Amino acid sequence: MHIVDGALSAPVLVGGTLLAAAGIVRGARDLNLERIPSAGLLSAAFFVASLVHVPIGPSSVHLILNGLAGLVLGWISFPALFVGLLLQALFFGFGGLTVLGVNTLDIALPAVIVGLLCRPGVRSANAALAAFWGGIAGALAIALTALMVAAVLALSGDAFIPAAKLVVIAHVPVMLIEGLLCAAAVTLVRKVKPELFGMPADASAVGLRAAEVRS
Amino acid sequence: MNQVSKIQRRRRLLLCLALICLPMVMNAAWAHKVLLGLWPDGSDIEGELGFSNGDMAAPGTLVEVLGPDGEPIGETRVTEEGLFRFTPTRSVPHTFRANLGAGHVAKASLPMDEMPKIRDSGTPSGDAASVESQAVVPVSAERPADAPTLDPTALEMLIAEAVRREVKPLRRELSALKEKIGFQQVLGGLGYIAGISGLLFFVYARRS
Repeated sequence: MHIVDGALSAPVLVGGTLLAAAGIVRGARDLNLERIPSAGLLSAAFFVASLVHVPIGPSSVHLILNGLAGLVLGWISFPALFVGLLLQALFFGFGGLTVLGVNTLDIALPAVIVGLLCRPGVRSANAALAAFWGGIAGALAIALTALMVAAVLALSGDAFIPAAKLVVIAHVPVMLIEGLLCAAAVTLVRKVKPELFGMPADASAVGLRAAEVRS
Repeated sequence: MNQVSKIQRRRRLLLCLALICLPMVMNAAWAHKVLLGLWPDGSDIEGELGFSNGDMAAPGTLVEVLGPDGEPIGETRVTEEGLFRFTPTRSVPHTFRANLGAGHVAKASLPMDEMPKIRDSGTPSGDAASVESQAVVPVSAERPADAPTLDPTALEMLIAEAVRREVKPLRRELSALKEKIGFQQVLGGLGYIAGISGLLFFVYARRS
């Protein structure tokens, strides 16, 4: 999922970097003392998840966990995932420093979109429904990321349809795995720490206190 | 209520255990970076193209050859086992570039001092090589008459071939080792994230 140095044209790199910087600034505005720990935790989870490889066919793909990040962090996904990507580039040599902005955009923007779309569903009083939405969030974030990678490659000269096909097909197994993982994580978080989704601490009082907590 | 908190505690414990076990499972995992290796082979340049997880590039994959200023010199295609071969016609540093699709790009250069001697091109380096081999011939003539006569250049090529064959698994292992992600790197990265979070706490606490 990481695009490496030298694969993209200069305008794409500059554009991606500027958009990613805007996203990071937007995310930093949302950040506050209460949300730093969850941002750090998801940043660490993202950093480590890239090492979990799923071997498929001739290649292998790795977990990304941006759906979960989007659900918990919203716009803060941008700074959190940027830190994770920066450290991956420095420590593991994944991606590269010049493509850091584009990679951040490819991974964090789907997280934000998924967060906006699926967060209400995850907050649902029905646990099964919430898990379903969690699964959708995990899978959708990967699909959007794959499409963005294909689009970025297309802007740099690769033909979009074959590139998109290749990237999306390669990520279908990850979509399934991330969907299941995200559904499980949502179920767990709802039981252990529902505040992460902006829900009241006592899960049994969701219906009564949801409005109060949201404000 | 007590039972619920017990279940919660057990769940938290399981989560912690899972998080702790994760890095151990992952140690065997590889990144799918593209590796491109080059070496001189006689008067050719031979190279190997593959992914860092040990898979080789598919036969027919295009490899572009670029000159010192990035101008295209030629191209070649991967044959079997991720190997490709290019016969240089100019004695300049050659850069090889391959695009395996989906953002997998690899680039590697062969510097001047590793370039193979160019054959049949009349360049000074080619002449020097032939002069040298002629000069060696009288020495080989001093050998016992019953020893099989072997052209020194042919011998040199045989030795080079044998060494390359012997070194091949070593080279693979070395590139695999270079790509291996150690436990220290994972811990280092996590440490940085903890540090950044701490720094942010400091900044935000001062601001409020």
